[in-house]
Amino acid sequence: MTAGLMVSCETGIEINSTNQDVPIVYCVLNSADSFQYVRLQKTYLIDQAALEFPPDQDSMLFTGEIVVTMERWSAGKVIETIRFTETNEIPKDSGFFPSEKNILYMAKANIVPNQIYRLYIYLGSKEKILYAETSSLGKLVVIDPLPIQERKISLYSGNNYTCRWQPVANAGVYQVVLRFNYKETVDGIEKIKHLDWPQTFASPGSDAEYLSNDISGSRFMHILQDNLSDGSGITREVIGMNFQIVSGSMEMKYYIESTSPSEGALMEKPVYSNITNGIGLFCSAAKIDVDQLLLSPVTIDSIAYGQFTRNLGFLDHTKDRDSTNNL
Amino acid sequence: MIKKSSLWILAGLLVLVSCVKPPVDPVDPNENTKPKISGTLEIEFRVPGSFLPPSRVLRADLSVAKDAESLYRGHFLQMANVYNSKLVYQFDLAPGVYYYQAGIICIAEGDSCSAASFPGGKFGMKWAIGTTEVKQDKTTHVVPQFTR
Repeated sequence: MTAGLMVSCETGIEINSTNQDVPIVYCVLNSADSFQYVRLQKTYLIDQAALEFPPDQDSMLFTGEIVVTMERWSAGKVIETIRFTETNEIPKDSGFFPSEKNILYMAKANIVPNQIYRLYIYLGSKEKILYAETSSLGKLVVIDPLPIQERKISLYSGNNYTCRWQPVANAGVYQVVLRFNYKETVDGIEKIKHLDWPQTFASPGSDAEYLSNDISGSRFMHILQDNLSDGSGITREVIGMNFQIVSGSMEMKYYIESTSPSEGALMEKPVYSNITNGIGLFCSAAKIDVDQLLLSPVTIDSIAYGQFTRNLGFLDHTKDRDSTNNL
Repeated sequence: MIKKSSLWILAGLLVLVSCVKPPVDPVDPNENTKPKISGTLEIEFRVPGSFLPPSRVLRADLSVAKDAESLYRGHFLQMANVYNSKLVYQFDLAPGVYYYQAGIICIAEGDSCSAASFPGGKFGMKWAIGTTEVKQDKTTHVVPQFTR
């Protein structure tokens, strides 16, 4: 009877249910690379304040047998079966989550355009198969900029640059990323640095011969002003600019839309996932880099003496700094 | 009494709302629609035909300078971004005389570029240089002439 009373007097409440170990899968097939990677982790649950105590590395990874394979389908037939192997060759960025052991699954595989790819992951510990499907993109052809150094880029207030590319089959989203390369000298020590400037996402138009993204010269000057520190003793020299044009599949578009800030009354949106028996994203992307483009002398002088960037210590196109030459 | 205080609160709110300035974009969105206070130099940048395929001879440079020496030294007033798909380029300039240069580049392989009189073979360039006058509120149209 006493035992019965003790049981009935139990007032503790289990706030957390048992961790479900939900698999989390991320894989972006990159047609510009000959190696493909899959990241597999799981949800974790701890009894402490989650934002103060990072989880153990092991609590984020599955143990036991894990088999990762991918099939390439065309005309309703399997053309190729690709087996992934475990690797930790790519280091993980440091941060809140443990980074000492970054386990990924890697396969040597060139992505063939306009094919269907199916990803299967067998988890022995859960007796479960994860599944996802995506279509590879068509060929990405960039019209502007061309990889010709003599065709210099002019990007200053009042002068914009138009980046153009041909529409890509199966693509749902595009993005242009500019990388501004410069040399920085502080106390006689030279460092090659860069500043990445991603443009807003662009969606494919209907029946367009080409797609384009206007890059504002005025905005470029403000980006430099906002992201580079000014101060005496710093000398900078413009090296050039790289363009990266990326196209992503429809799944990537849905994922980006689901993770972007809400604008309407519905403040919390469910994050898009196309992984059966798990959460995450399996999609494809195509990328083209146009590197080592040079900036025009007018652009370099505008950076050196323009109203927004004159205090950043950039040399002009003659590698000089004439303070009387304020534009 | 309640009505009076409510009115005061409402009036205060109205004052507050009217005092909130809209966010100012540091970049003028109407930059390209400002009224012109100058003339326009319009350059029709034609790439001369040759036995080379059109996709092997491209526009490479279009610059404007105040005088011949500035042009020679590369001290340009404005430089256009040139594209394969764009024929006409415009520069807004104060009235006066200007020098311009247009450059085309050969990107064909082998000795094709040398055979088409591009100095240095692949990536060799040809130039057309000229002078023109820009007048207030007028558009001056020029077509650079390249030597064969």
